Amino acid sequence: MSDARHIEEQAAQWLLRSEQPDWSEDQSARLREWLDQSYSHKAAFWRLEHGWKKADRLAVLGSGASVSAQRTPTFANWRRLAIAASVALMIALVPTYFIASRDISGGGQQAAEQQFSTALGSRKTVALADGSKVELNTATIGRALVNDRRREFWLDRGEAYFDIVHDAARPFVIYAGTRTVTVLGTKFSVRRDGDRVTVNVIQGRVKVDLGPSRPDGPSTTIGVGDTAVADGDSTIVASRSLEQVERAMSWRQGMLTFDNATLADAAAEFNRYNARKIEILDEQAAQTRIGGTFEANNVDAFARLLREAYGVKVEVDPGAVKISA
Amino acid sequence: MVDDEALGAWFCDAILTREASLMRFIRRNWRDAAETADLRQEIYEKVLTGARRELPRNAGHYLFAVARNHLINRAKRAQIVSFDLVADISALADGSDLYSTERQVSARDELRRAQAGLDLLPPRCREVVRLRKVEGLSTRETAERLGVGIDTVEKQLTLGIRAMTDFVLGGTGKIHRWSATARATAGAGNDE
Repeated sequence: MSDARHIEEQAAQWLLRSEQPDWSEDQSARLREWLDQSYSHKAAFWRLEHGWKKADRLAVLGSGASVSAQRTPTFANWRRLAIAASVALMIALVPTYFIASRDISGGGQQAAEQQFSTALGSRKTVALADGSKVELNTATIGRALVNDRRREFWLDRGEAYFDIVHDAARPFVIYAGTRTVTVLGTKFSVRRDGDRVTVNVIQGRVKVDLGPSRPDGPSTTIGVGDTAVADGDSTIVASRSLEQVERAMSWRQGMLTFDNATLADAAAEFNRYNARKIEILDEQAAQTRIGGTFEANNVDAFARLLREAYGVKVEVDPGAVKISA
Repeated sequence: MVDDEALGAWFCDAILTREASLMRFIRRNWRDAAETADLRQEIYEKVLTGARRELPRNAGHYLFAVARNHLINRAKRAQIVSFDLVADISALADGSDLYSTERQVSARDELRRAQAGLDLLPPRCREVVRLRKVEGLSTRETAERLGVGIDTVEKQLTLGIRAMTDFVLGGTGKIHRWSATARATAGAGNDE
């Protein structure tokens, strides 16, 4: 099933439930949350709401009126098929249930903290107990605690991409240096460079603040296509396109993408992935602007392209790649 | 920022009224017909994301610019495209008929359209939609009336909402049934 169709089905379910007499405040709040997760959800819901409302015209046909000569309800047949459908529905719901379930281990016991790490230049995807997935980038250390009451992740070093399963009752909280990132269910990345924390969002909404110990501190909520960079007590938000934010996550495919970056920044980025470091020897080379997509682990190819395209001097020895104008 | 109420109203008013044109545009420029509904949904998402800061002044131009860019990006990403196709898409988006909205329709036209949409639904789905829209029954009442489970009613009604919407917005009213449930039901002898 495609994402779009899945979303349309969810939107239709929300819509029909919102029309029922037992529709509650609580459900209404959850619908609001679902809508706020993504403009894709809003588009699907608003569209169906609009179209379905047009069908209200049918009410003038009145109770008992024959709508159509084609109408041939065959209830015996319908009932038989309905049983088959219910059974099929139960089967179909089983995996969903396990993903959505708040406690998949059955008991309410405290799950132990899990630890994860990646070596320089490697990546790893880990699955958490709630069905969420975390992709660790190069040289990253993280810890997770997921049980029936809490979902927490400590990003001690490096960078990770989070694909978090929605659960309004258990917000997913990430501690990264001075910042706390809180989500209900979204897709985004968090990166630490010392005290600087960068958050990129490709789906849903994410709250970035200083955590429970500083409730009065600055709190920022960002959405799809936004990047927040936090350093000290300041947080800067840049609204970019989804494409730009996705580009910042090209490491997930083992690639680095630069758009008008200085060679100094590009070199620093490559150095996160490789033991053999790039050294820029003079200011003129450091300020050269470059763009393109490169394999993160292939310093040699990058150096070769630099020499050919920009005419810089490249000196390769076993420990380092030295670049000068 | 545009608030949700204004954004939603603009979306229904300025964008959804062009859905028939948008679907023609997608079908003309995309060879895989099975993907048109997905593309439409992706384009709508981008339309809303782009309009949330400020509503575009010319919704028609804006919609088709977003649509064109999205098709080009998708084609490039899928690496299935020649630059001829990209050029074609660019040229087509300048075509004048694309910006037209559906003409204003009267209440009588709307009823006729809704009724035609209802007639196109598979029998069981049609009955559930009729009970909801004509008799105003809740899903629980519908389930009791028909002697089936609420899940089943919801399933049919979900389908009905999607198909009716597609039809009243100028589509064919035919909805792809995608879930394991739908396939299993069909396999059990459902003649829909």
